[in-house]
Amino acid sequence: MIHDSILRDRLVTGDKSASDVTRDIARPILNNPSTAWKIGFTLSLVFLGIFGVSLLYTLYTGIGVWNINKSVMWGWDITNFVFWVGIGHAGTLISAVLLLFRQKWRMSINRSAEAMTIFAVICAAMFPVFHMGRVWVGYWALPLPNAFGSLWVNFNSPLLWDVFAISTYFSVSLLFWYIGLIPDIATIRDKVKSKLGKNMYGFFSMGWTGSTRTWARYELVSLILAGLSTPLVLSVHTIVSTDFATSVIPGWHTTIFPPYFVAGAIFSGFGMVATLLVVARKVMNYENYITIGHLDAMTRIIMVTGTIVGIAYLTEFFIAWYSGNIYEQYAFTNRAFGPYWWAYWSMMSCNLIAPQVFWFKWARTTPWFIFIMSIVVNVGMWFERFVIIVTSLHRDYLPSSWVMYSGSLTEIGLFLGTFGIFFTCFFLFAKFLPVINMAELKSILRNRE
Amino acid sequence: MGILDKKLSLRNRSKMLIGVWEDEDQLVAAASELAHAGVHIHDIYTPYPVHGLDRIIGARRSKLARIAFFCAITGLTLMTTMIWYMYVHDWPMNIGNKPVRFTPSWAPVMFEGTVLCTAFGMSFFFFWRNRLVHGIKNEMLDIRQTDDRMIVAIETVSGMDEKSVLSIMKNGGAVEMREFENGVQTVI
Repeated sequence: MIHDSILRDRLVTGDKSASDVTRDIARPILNNPSTAWKIGFTLSLVFLGIFGVSLLYTLYTGIGVWNINKSVMWGWDITNFVFWVGIGHAGTLISAVLLLFRQKWRMSINRSAEAMTIFAVICAAMFPVFHMGRVWVGYWALPLPNAFGSLWVNFNSPLLWDVFAISTYFSVSLLFWYIGLIPDIATIRDKVKSKLGKNMYGFFSMGWTGSTRTWARYELVSLILAGLSTPLVLSVHTIVSTDFATSVIPGWHTTIFPPYFVAGAIFSGFGMVATLLVVARKVMNYENYITIGHLDAMTRIIMVTGTIVGIAYLTEFFIAWYSGNIYEQYAFTNRAFGPYWWAYWSMMSCNLIAPQVFWFKWARTTPWFIFIMSIVVNVGMWFERFVIIVTSLHRDYLPSSWVMYSGSLTEIGLFLGTFGIFFTCFFLFAKFLPVINMAELKSILRNRE
Repeated sequence: MGILDKKLSLRNRSKMLIGVWEDEDQLVAAASELAHAGVHIHDIYTPYPVHGLDRIIGARRSKLARIAFFCAITGLTLMTTMIWYMYVHDWPMNIGNKPVRFTPSWAPVMFEGTVLCTAFGMSFFFFWRNRLVHGIKNEMLDIRQTDDRMIVAIETVSGMDEKSVLSIMKNGGAVEMREFENGVQTVI
């Protein structure tokens, strides 16, 4: 006998039926775009234009238009790469890890978080690819025979691991997202009126009928993909961290990097999910589906991961002192009290101190405040990557090569431009695909134990 | 048996009884009663996964997990062979005088290749087995089966007591009952 829970709060409020879910979630797809969508999309296109101009200028003139130099050879580019890859990770975490832990509250937010993963990885990939300079020989990073111009690739290098990790991560995330979308695309196929729409959604729904046999296998395939994605997401950011940790640069050469980077990725990713969903639930009238309970759960994760990241910052400092290594000690003293002190303390304030406000229930349940905090988290996490990269590089073992570094207008344009890529993709996604997983949500309308 | 699950197609079904449900609990109870009465349920179509129905209609446990394992072993072998061929056999690279032989630094690429092969191999088999192909004609019994209705399709065999089947369906909460014959549905 199945009972409705009297203990747990409902995950979907407003006493919705299955047809209500279809109607509410499919509304933006079946109707003409709203004014808010048009304004947001146009703004995103403006930023996309900024990206295009900055990229063309870089390609035409050369990497010299960035302010990176022989000491600070990684600047805003790799900062932005790690920033975007980190943001992407929360999508996989929400859909895969929370699925393995049978956390049903994920069902309202997993679709948009997975979409965010894919768009963020696209943004991330731009930076290492164009940092190559001669991007037209970028395929040399792939394991191709010597006759193509390069030697076989170096399998001992974390930079090569990155090529495999990021491409696998992108492909598997796209597959996971698409498989999750098929039942919902079929629902839209059966609702949409236009012939073009019917053909397009019909093509991508692959003849889905909702057969019990298919559902049983579908759930198994989702579970196995979740099981694969979980170590995958951990491996990807671990590998990104080894780009730094396997070097002999003080401030980078630490074994704490993999868990510290993974926690940071989850932290920043949830920050971005909160930014998107606080706005989306209001603009798209999804308050009954993305409830205050969902925001509460996300902010708890932000607080925990923020604290883990904060502990990692303090541990780094302690280990630098405890190691007795003067170069390591200098790197960290320079971080906190050197010329980039403002970046370090921005990072500490945004990532360690600010999220502690989520101990208070009011902070966890007030959407406008969560929105502001989510921006703070993202600013803090950008500064974290900037601090790790720039403060470690700008003063190396040889004082004669010490320099100061700040991003050029082109670098700033590229960074702002990636927000254009991200939000253009996100607005198109919100217009043409269901932002919330309708099929999964219909299965939790009754508050089952 | 081929990979494609032929039971998923309605093409060879000339005659069926169709019941439409609105309530998940009533559907599970009625389907269970039908199965106990010896009625052969061809399939049940639902807008979301309803747990337990696969056992009621007698669907066998999927072999996808075994296929995933096979794909994983294939991926791992392929990647290990690839790295060995490029890095040890064809052109050994001397970087910092480090040995060119199997080392833990191969692990990340081996792992990523294994995951890639498993995810795509298993998903390919999933699509194939379930007749999920781009552009295929969808065989829907009811346009609402992807929205809010649950459809039970019962195969009519000679000697089946249709009246008692219809009575179980009606008492079990079916809101509509139809007869399906050569692609045409008639309301009962």
